Amino acid sequence: MASCTILEGSAHKMSADADTTIKMTLYRLIAETGRVPDAGEVAAASRFSEADVLSSFTRLHARRLLVPEPGDPRRIRMAPPFSGIPTAFPVDAMGKRYYANCVWDAYGIPAALHADAVIPASDAVTGELLTLEVRGGEPVPLPYLAHFAVPAARWWEDIVYT
Amino acid sequence: MLLFRSEETVDLWCESNGVPRRPLITLDQLWQLSVAWYANRLTVESRRPARDEMVSVFASIGLTGPFWDPRSDSFGSTAPPGPT
Repeated sequence: MASCTILEGSAHKMSADADTTIKMTLYRLIAETGRVPDAGEVAAASRFSEADVLSSFTRLHARRLLVPEPGDPRRIRMAPPFSGIPTAFPVDAMGKRYYANCVWDAYGIPAALHADAVIPASDAVTGELLTLEVRGGEPVPLPYLAHFAVPAARWWEDIVYT
Repeated sequence: MLLFRSEETVDLWCESNGVPRRPLITLDQLWQLSVAWYANRLTVESRRPARDEMVSVFASIGLTGPFWDPRSDSFGSTAPPGPT
């Protein structure tokens, strides 16, 4: 029994280590390219098989660190603050264009990259261009507002909508 | 979470989407939230804040009450299991 417990503990540590390595590889590729890679690309950039990466994606989703593309677990819709698809929140930083999942994540990208950024966002009703900017590690002061429609306790009921 | 020029366009959005107006936050508050959530996201130590930590982060920039509490059931639902 004790040996089983030890083996289970060892397996858990191995999967946790794999998850950390795969998550770091994923985020490194995003930061370097501006694009969210799929499981095959993460596998090619790491020492893991695509099956290992897919298993890790599932565990990272359970821990609310990733959101897979609906119907295609090989692809990532959200690696917060980055979006796997173009959105209304483009973020220009480090000579690349990234996409954020929402206005919070739009600021989250320069916060994560520790970089200046220009964010050509827009008013959700009128479509008026409202450009946000981060310069020298601080946001350029602007009078705009963010509205959270969903209370914190329900964010993950439909995180894509949130 | 969406961006608006003014409270007027927030109200228009809420009306057209049939949702109640919720708390508004300034861009300075939003930046502080972003730093708290994401400043270490590209590091090995990165993890989501636990629920108690979320409450502390929100409170530190003046966001208090059940809307900002991931443990609250004041909005018709309990928080799902696991770290929020």
